[in-house]
Amino acid sequence: MSRSRLAALYALAVILGIVSAWLWLTKVGPSGVDAGVWRVNLLAGSTSADAYTRARIALGALLALDRRETLYYIARSDERGESLRADCRYRLSGPAPAARWWSVTAYDEDFFLFENAARRYSVNGDTAPRDPQGQIIFDVGPEVVTGDPPDLPTQGAGALLLTLRLYNPALSLQREPGSLAAPRIDVVGSCP
Amino acid sequence: MSRPEHAPPRPLLGHLIGLLIVAAAAHALTVWALPRVIMAEVLRVTRVEGSANADGVLRPPPADHTARRIVMPSPDLLYATCSLDVRDRPAQITANIDYQRYWSIALYADNSDNFMVRNDREHGARALRWLIVSKDARYPIPAPRDVEIIEAPGTKVLLLMRMLLPEDSAGRAAAEAARDSLRCR
Repeated sequence: MSRSRLAALYALAVILGIVSAWLWLTKVGPSGVDAGVWRVNLLAGSTSADAYTRARIALGALLALDRRETLYYIARSDERGESLRADCRYRLSGPAPAARWWSVTAYDEDFFLFENAARRYSVNGDTAPRDPQGQIIFDVGPEVVTGDPPDLPTQGAGALLLTLRLYNPALSLQREPGSLAAPRIDVVGSCP
Repeated sequence: MSRPEHAPPRPLLGHLIGLLIVAAAAHALTVWALPRVIMAEVLRVTRVEGSANADGVLRPPPADHTARRIVMPSPDLLYATCSLDVRDRPAQITANIDYQRYWSIALYADNSDNFMVRNDREHGARALRWLIVSKDARYPIPAPRDVEIIEAPGTKVLLLMRMLLPEDSAGRAAAEAARDSLRCR
């Protein structure tokens, strides 16, 4: 085997190693605990995070806090198991999370906030609409010109990511983040 | 003595093993380096932009759809950041935070680990006086009575202050005033 061919093979091996790491970090779901359709990574922000967790957090949620301070739940699918989409409307409902303060934020598939005329980027413990029983209930979806606008507007037709942040979560949740009675995410109407 | 026909040539087997080792090493190095590279860039940008202020603090506006620097920004928080280098001297952090809602100050190592966080309930109403030193510091560390010494695992530290940003204008003004009290020297 010629030297140039050998050098090309080793270069290919380096590229393969880098690409496999990238795919593993970005395409394989992070480990964690599920609460309904939401998943929380228990090692986010922790000094005991393994190398893969640390790299995933750096790529998707840099500068996270540990679970004593904040729990980050992420939803990528609805109650049917279908991937969340920015061009569909969803209703989030359930009890207010047991935390000092909480918020739900909608992110575009690039992990940044959706542009919207109302500049509404999150629904939180101060602003969340509630039903007569005190349950939170609000809609996430495309802005509509007329009719009933969503509480949390999205844009485009790409993937939608919802993050539920709990600041100073209750001790029971710090110990067992999977015990959260997380908001349901139900599709409203037809989803094209 | 001639080699059996079905046996692979020894150099080829050696190269196959070598290729696997190189691929595995590149994979591991990528996973290890990614958070460090990203943090190095965050520390650099924070240092460059924060140095424009005499107090060394970068105070970005609340996150909106134009915020493209850090993924998944929280629109509910007001941030302040400092890039600290404690290799040759300690960093002095001070703040007088008169704010009734949630706030926290977190310290991150250069590998992105959050090695320390303190929130409003833990800290109370007293003035914040911290001295951040490297655990491998070879410089003298002063120890005034009212200053808390915090040991960093390395020499580069990112400080990130978070203040809950309420909807009302009075609450927002209070959050901004509290944030403005932060000094990093």
